[in-house]
Amino acid sequence: MSSKNKMIVFGSLGVAMLMGPTLAAADEAANDYPSEDLKFLVAAGAGGGTDNFTRTVQPMLEEELDTSITVINLPSASGSVAHQRTANSEPDGHTWDFASSTLVTSLAAGQNPTELEELTPVARMQSDVMTLIVNPDKHEDLEAFLSYAEENPGEVTIGGTHAASPDKMAFLSFRDASGLDISFIPYDEEGSVSSNVLSGNIDGMFGEISSTLNYIESGDMRPILVFAEDRLENFPDIPTTVENGWDLTDGNERGVFVNADTPPEIVSQMEDALKSVYDSDEYQSYEEKVNLHYREGWMGSEEYKEKLEENLELYTRLIEETNQ
Amino acid sequence: MIENFLGGVAVVFQPVNLLILMSAVFIGFIGGALPGISGVILVVILLPVTYGMDATAAFMLLTAIYGSTVFSGLITAILYRAPGTPEAVMTSFDGYPMTQQGEAGKALGIGILSSAIGGLVGTVALIVFTPLLASVALQFSSPEYFALAVLGLTVVASLGGKLIYGLIGAALGLFIATVGIDPLTGTPRYTFGSLNLAEGVGLIPVIVGLFAISEVMKRASGTETQQPLTKVKVKIFDSAIMRKIALTLSRSSLLGVAIGILPGIGASTAAMVSYSEAVRWSKHPQDFGKGAPEGIAAPEAANNAAAMGALVPLFALGIPGSGTTAIILGAFIMHGLQPGPNFMMVSSDLIYAVFAGLFIVNFMILVFSKPFIKLFTKLLNTPYSVLGPIIVMCCIVGTYSVRNSMFDVWLMLGFGVLGFLLEKLRFPLVAIILGLVLGPIAESELRRSLAMSQGDMTIFLSRPISATLIGVAIALLSVSILIPLYKKYKEKRLYSANAD
Repeated sequence: MSSKNKMIVFGSLGVAMLMGPTLAAADEAANDYPSEDLKFLVAAGAGGGTDNFTRTVQPMLEEELDTSITVINLPSASGSVAHQRTANSEPDGHTWDFASSTLVTSLAAGQNPTELEELTPVARMQSDVMTLIVNPDKHEDLEAFLSYAEENPGEVTIGGTHAASPDKMAFLSFRDASGLDISFIPYDEEGSVSSNVLSGNIDGMFGEISSTLNYIESGDMRPILVFAEDRLENFPDIPTTVENGWDLTDGNERGVFVNADTPPEIVSQMEDALKSVYDSDEYQSYEEKVNLHYREGWMGSEEYKEKLEENLELYTRLIEETNQ
Repeated sequence: MIENFLGGVAVVFQPVNLLILMSAVFIGFIGGALPGISGVILVVILLPVTYGMDATAAFMLLTAIYGSTVFSGLITAILYRAPGTPEAVMTSFDGYPMTQQGEAGKALGIGILSSAIGGLVGTVALIVFTPLLASVALQFSSPEYFALAVLGLTVVASLGGKLIYGLIGAALGLFIATVGIDPLTGTPRYTFGSLNLAEGVGLIPVIVGLFAISEVMKRASGTETQQPLTKVKVKIFDSAIMRKIALTLSRSSLLGVAIGILPGIGASTAAMVSYSEAVRWSKHPQDFGKGAPEGIAAPEAANNAAAMGALVPLFALGIPGSGTTAIILGAFIMHGLQPGPNFMMVSSDLIYAVFAGLFIVNFMILVFSKPFIKLFTKLLNTPYSVLGPIIVMCCIVGTYSVRNSMFDVWLMLGFGVLGFLLEKLRFPLVAIILGLVLGPIAESELRRSLAMSQGDMTIFLSRPISATLIGVAIALLSVSILIPLYKKYKEKRLYSANAD
């Protein structure tokens, strides 16, 4: 046998050997998942809510999945870099993308090039409650606010963080549903929004109840509307959007995403792991500590996917209407 | 209040807490001295460690690290023109020329003393005025921030050098600041579809590139290869210098506190404004940038004072005044504490212990900085062919770590080349930084103000604080333009009289 022929024989043998495992790969991968260390990409900067969430569940998941996990913050472009990197990663479930609702709001605003179809939502873990919060010296309650806004069209200003954030979407959908002529001022940091509400420079803000609790308790701020179906157990006096006839219930949500090509077996393994973390006492006491326990945070893969698709459609329409 | 404070001091002097403070100062020293590793990153890294600790100890640790990183950025700024933190950029303008003149020890001494004094003034303001000052800070809204940024930008006229270069530099800085997603409408600007540019051009890549990398290139290009000094003797208390910088120190410390208290405006801006004011009020503005002691004292006193000032709205209102304080706020919540308007009342024991800790940290800086700096000055004696690559490595790692972005590293190197070329033209690099830091404030606050007033421009004049600030800006601008013109006119008359 000439050396050339030898090469061909061994070459084809090699190919056959390589093909074998590939065919059985999906099954095997699901059996011994995770087969290597996991990488958690955080679509936000260090120290924020999404980062806190990721770093809190990291040790719990390390124990649950018996592996070690590296956390990497990729805050650039509202987290778009993290989504893009996840969509381009090996579809083997070893790269997890931890994101907030900013994923879909920035997508609607055209700032995020990774389409929803390129990612599979694994689970939603947190669902913070969106509220309209005002300075009580300016507006007594929801009724007073509404009638003031109606009598003074164009004069009411509401603050929030960033131009393509859950706060902004709450504002757009509220304006759309109520038909009021009010305007939105985006700030870079939540601190600037609160200080402008406290000093009465703006009429109010859209924000999470969890981060303004102290001002509410001290009486410097007053939530006058919660985005929810039913009144919150802890705040029975605040009227809801649904009882006012506005079908708006979205707040800021946080969850986990993977590459859309990841085998369904692995996705469901990930979902199970997250679910048992979610149900643990340790995780629940964390949620209580950071005031995220006002409503159920858990949502499974399928349901979460549908919800995100609905959100995207609504936000895209609202933004298009604003730009017209 | 005094009773509370003494109670806090007692807590700090428990051996465990003292040990924690000392290690915090040391960690802060290292982090601050390495370019790119900022207080924010250090606090984030140590956050999980503090969860297991008692809350008082945890916050003494975090705030002490925060305080000491702001200080130690000056070491590499003075010795190698590689500012360890963005707050220390201004310090390199006069600190590095002094090093080149063989006076590194003197420059470091001035920096340490100014930092400690600024920090102490800031801490005293924090302890005494927190409840009062917080409500003053709330008076500042968009129109006032805009007016403040305008006031800062007028400094270009008194920076010295060719005015036209100053204007070009500031405009370039303002232009760079517009890159990225528009903060108000969310429209991408000058991003060319690249995700890397969507967040805008970061301050760290620009600063590290313009100052540190360009300096390494200059030294490597061979004209000044020899080491200017072999022995650095740090002298902190030098009565002749102390007399010279006393006025600058007190002005800059107060200015630093005042700026630090404003939410959203950090220690870097404070250092910049304070340096500019030092130039503006100096009797010999031509000495700045060439190794003037006031040029070190002004930014260092201001940035340390501002760092403490930024804690005022955090403790009094639960509003973070800067990036690091925002993370400390998050840490409070994780520890089950509720920062907000009632925080001072509910958690006064903890807060006064933290205040006492910060007070003592400033003395620790005075004591421990000298041995720590020895580590760095020893490096000065290594040949630049070894030191230069090490500086470049540190710059690359530091820049990368800010956003985990390789693009930022390339950007940083690009700005290094730009800085190298601009310096050959004797271009004032500070003007670029001025535009870059103040540009985003000026732009977005202008637009927010107009949104608040439904497009009515008079909002800037109808609010007393913003009207005053704008008035001062106009007055200072006209003075700095008119005085040189008048001098020229007089000289001309003198000349023509002599000619006759």
